[in-house]
Amino acid sequence: MSVSSLAFPACWNCGAPPGGGHFCVGCGKIQPLDPASGYFAFFGLPEKLNLDAADLDRRYLALSWKLHPDNFVRAEEFERNLSLDRSSVLNDAYRVLRDPVSRAEYLLARHGVRKEGQTKQQAPPELLEEVFELNESLEELRAARRSGDAAESVALARSLETAGRNFQAKLGEVDSELAGAFGEWDAALDRSAGEDDRARLMARMNEILNRRSYIRNLVAGVTQELGEAPGE
Amino acid sequence: MAYSEKVIDHYNNPRNVGSMPKEDPKVGTGMVGAPECGDVMRLQIRVNPETQVIEDAKFKTFGCGSAIASSSLATEWVKGRTVEDALSIKNTDIVRELALPPVKIHCSVLAEDAIKAAIGDWKRKQGAEESQASAAAAPAED
Ligand code: FES
Repeated sequence: MSVSSLAFPACWNCGAPPGGGHFCVGCGKIQPLDPASGYFAFFGLPEKLNLDAADLDRRYLALSWKLHPDNFVRAEEFERNLSLDRSSVLNDAYRVLRDPVSRAEYLLARHGVRKEGQTKQQAPPELLEEVFELNESLEELRAARRSGDAAESVALARSLETAGRNFQAKLGEVDSELAGAFGEWDAALDRSAGEDDRARLMARMNEILNRRSYIRNLVAGVTQELGEAPGE
Repeated sequence: MAYSEKVIDHYNNPRNVGSMPKEDPKVGTGMVGAPECGDVMRLQIRVNPETQVIEDAKFKTFGCGSAIASSSLATEWVKGRTVEDALSIKNTDIVRELALPPVKIHCSVLAEDAIKAAIGDWKRKQGAEESQASAAAAPAED
């Protein structure tokens, strides 16, 4: 699935065969973006999930400098537009790849594993139960704070803190599970693992990410609630 | 986001919010979640064992307006239907009734899944009932 294997037109300026890069290998002119190439290829990276953040930052800075519309003020409008296109994709790609969770979500979406409204897979019932209960205590705390019942509010805040710590710990567990799956995915790419192996790994990452979204939601809810002083 | 009038109505006056004793053999509880957003929904039904008719339904949803409206509507729709009939309710019916936009389809899926899960739980209980005919009285809990 490398970029160069995709049928894409020759250079618009000199007719050199497509190299898949941002600029023509023959004449150096900026090239239109191949919509199929994706964010990893944009940075010249393989679709690996353990990514060196400092390396990504360097690539981002180098590219933003090279693709910047300021470099094209005297060029044709066509080239200027290409530079604008590439600069905006650059920023999207950087934002998505920089964060490990959105990076994994992107990879799964790109391979059709994660689709809006189609995730039929249910989280384990104990987790949903727990998520539900914590949501209920959050709701109680909000109500108690609104009604100004100070004593109850203090007790609730304390139990929320405990719950929040538990969920923070759970989030940590899920994240290390995810990190393990990242390692397996990268190793699978290294040994050119078959479709089945990859599909199995992606399904597992999808399941981990689903669990993560409930927990993250709760951690955020607890943080927000505890962050607001009572009566505010 | 512009919600339809029906969504707003259900959101402001949700029908059948609440809970029923989970241990009651006549009650089925469906607990489901949407991994896209981390929202959760609980829908419960009370079934008449003779007629298999759903006599009451309650829900509680921690989620967006569309999820609240979908589950509120779902409780209205299942009431008075037989269990088998209630299984035929599709999320697309909810989407149509509430005029949900495409990005809110997963919220209606949640409601359909909740109905199915509640009925599944009730059916499991019926199976368990038969196997242990001398079931103890349900503990009072809410
Ligand atoms: S956005 Fe999560 S259920 Fe609607």
